[in-house]
Amino acid sequence: MRRLKAIIIKEFFHILRDPKSLTIVFLMPVIMVFIYGYAISYDLKNINAGIIDYSGSRYSRDLIKLFTNNSYFKLRNLQRTKNPIEKGEEFLRAGKIKEIIIIPADFSRNIVSGKGSEVGFIIDGSDSNTANIIYQYNNMIIKTYLTKVQKIKNPLKVKTKVYFNPELKSSYFFVPGLIAILLLMVSALLTSISIAREKETGSLDLIFISPLKSSEIIIGKTIPYIFIALFEGIIILMFAYFWFKIPIRGNLLSLFFFSLLYIIAGLSLGIFISTSAEDQRTAMLGSLMLTMLPSIMLSGFIFPIESLSKVLRGFTYLIPATYYLKIIRGMVLKGAGIKSFLFEGGVLAGMSFLLLLISTIKFSKGREKTK
Amino acid sequence: MKIYYLMKKELIEILRQKQMIFMVIVSPVFQLLIFGYIATTDVKNLPVEIINISNSRYSQEIINRIEKSPLFIIKKITSRYESPIKNMKEGKIKAAILFRDSFDRKRNPSGFPDIQILMDGVDSNSSLIAAGYFNGIINDFLLTEFDKKGISVAVKGKSLLRYNPELKSINYMGPAIVAMLLTVIALFLTSSSIVREKEQQTIDTLLISRLKPVEIYLGKALPMLFVGLLDMFLGVTLVVLWFKIPIKGSIFQLLIASIIYLTAILSIALLISTFTNSQQEAMFFAWFSMITFILLSGLYTPVENIPWGLRWITKINPLQYLMKIIREIFLKGNGMKFFYKDIFSLIIIGSITISFSLFIFKKTVSK
Repeated sequence: MRRLKAIIIKEFFHILRDPKSLTIVFLMPVIMVFIYGYAISYDLKNINAGIIDYSGSRYSRDLIKLFTNNSYFKLRNLQRTKNPIEKGEEFLRAGKIKEIIIIPADFSRNIVSGKGSEVGFIIDGSDSNTANIIYQYNNMIIKTYLTKVQKIKNPLKVKTKVYFNPELKSSYFFVPGLIAILLLMVSALLTSISIAREKETGSLDLIFISPLKSSEIIIGKTIPYIFIALFEGIIILMFAYFWFKIPIRGNLLSLFFFSLLYIIAGLSLGIFISTSAEDQRTAMLGSLMLTMLPSIMLSGFIFPIESLSKVLRGFTYLIPATYYLKIIRGMVLKGAGIKSFLFEGGVLAGMSFLLLLISTIKFSKGREKTK
Repeated sequence: MKIYYLMKKELIEILRQKQMIFMVIVSPVFQLLIFGYIATTDVKNLPVEIINISNSRYSQEIINRIEKSPLFIIKKITSRYESPIKNMKEGKIKAAILFRDSFDRKRNPSGFPDIQILMDGVDSNSSLIAAGYFNGIINDFLLTEFDKKGISVAVKGKSLLRYNPELKSINYMGPAIVAMLLTVIALFLTSSSIVREKEQQTIDTLLISRLKPVEIYLGKALPMLFVGLLDMFLGVTLVVLWFKIPIKGSIFQLLIASIIYLTAILSIALLISTFTNSQQEAMFFAWFSMITFILLSGLYTPVENIPWGLRWITKINPLQYLMKIIREIFLKGNGMKFFYKDIFSLIIIGSITISFSLFIFKKTVSK
């Protein structure tokens, strides 16, 4: 126990000696929460669109009014230019507008005669997501127009009720998810260098010939980072709650318990990389490429897992963040309890155990060799 | 000539390690392959539960349509009401669709059921898209029913999609991922290059050599520029050959934009490497700038969505310009005429970062 304490204290000193890194470790979450909370938003508003109204009738003006009377579109009249459609296409290509709305000359005539008219939309499809949303806004507006002009009551009532995030704010989705990413950053990234650094500076040999057991070295190296990670998690959670007013609906104690499990899993991953890498540079790139990027891309942090192909969905099960994201979103936003996530918690514990075991074996082997 | 030896040494340092070659060449290719399949914003296979209390011909028809759609996967169909909230909490379903007969026959003479969608709003984007698709299904259903009853619709929308008519999100994301990976590799490799020599105390050897500071600086930067361009080449080839995304614009212009971009990003990395004292520190700064660059580049969410107060950050973010240029070249086939302003901004950012980091480097060296 005393030997363990000694190595923990040594590792703590290593971290504290480097105030620049420490500042970044604590400042980064705040800045990232800020960026995610405000800057990353899917809410599409004020889409620039060009309008060409060849009809110029009461009917077409009513339709245009529907397009302007909401915050979705910002219309720009292209009529005054010499060749409206050509001008519109040029704007579309330059990205100045995202769609062109064209109302044909026979618009009102065809409505009055009952033949039925058409409205043309030319949409910039390069960003498929945005294009999809524009397409849906268009349909919505036409639907509203129909109920006005044709006076058919929409016979089918669809009511939508949204749970957990009724205003559909992106920050509800991103900020708790960010905890998962930042915890991993602290735990995996920081630890991944810790053993590689000692390899590089040659101080690992000193530890090798000490009476410490391999498992003691591994455990002693991880414990300080647990504290840092926990501290970081608390900062982000407070920021989420007080600044972004994200409700914490679940039990904090059970969240704490699962977070601890997740941090340990991340640390084990970091240690595992650390024992395999030759020097700090490889360890850094390794932890970045093998843990950080997959955790951001494959865990459901941004892209929903359900939409992935079967093979890739298999990969997601290998990533600790996948399980933790489910847990933290469930607990924070939906108020789910421990019982709902027993399986996820078990997987995290199993992963940590396995990784630590492999690392210890690998580490002792390396030690044998030096001896 | 003197620089040549330094450059050679830098390249050897990278090529000497098998792990490093793996990181620089194999891993970006691998990442691009995987991310190309993941980083799509298409919503598919959304797990839903259906509660069909109505059990009419109409509700059955709508359910059939949902079943056929690749967007939804029906996890459960019941005819008795039970709260779907529990399943939603555990993340088993993302939405529940409830069909119920209308009580008021007078106000609803058509006999269509009332539909209620209960949605998990946590992932707001997916929820919005899913709701939109569902409305589309309902619309199609209504149109066919109207047709059967002989009612014609007064106005129909007709849409034309430009540049990416099949709305494949990979066409939009693929080129952007190349730009992202390029940034990751360039920033990380280079940010450790000088500080590493500090840590291993070989920097003094370099400094007492006859190399001028500018030469040391260039000797560090040029091999990385080479590695960066190699990765760019690999990435673009893969995107074109594997993901079958055609380049509509000029490759030469893309090359020029990439070189200017790499110059900017490499000088930022060298700046980091100059003022930090350990590789760990350098890595943190690199990681931090990388994340900020990527998040505010328009990779996942359009830059236009960023509120005014934060928009200025995107103006000084070099990656934002490269993202825009590479996407325009790939998708729209735009030429210089459309992005000369972006190139110009990149040049300004590049020259400021170069002179600043060179200045700092000289200052540190003279100490």
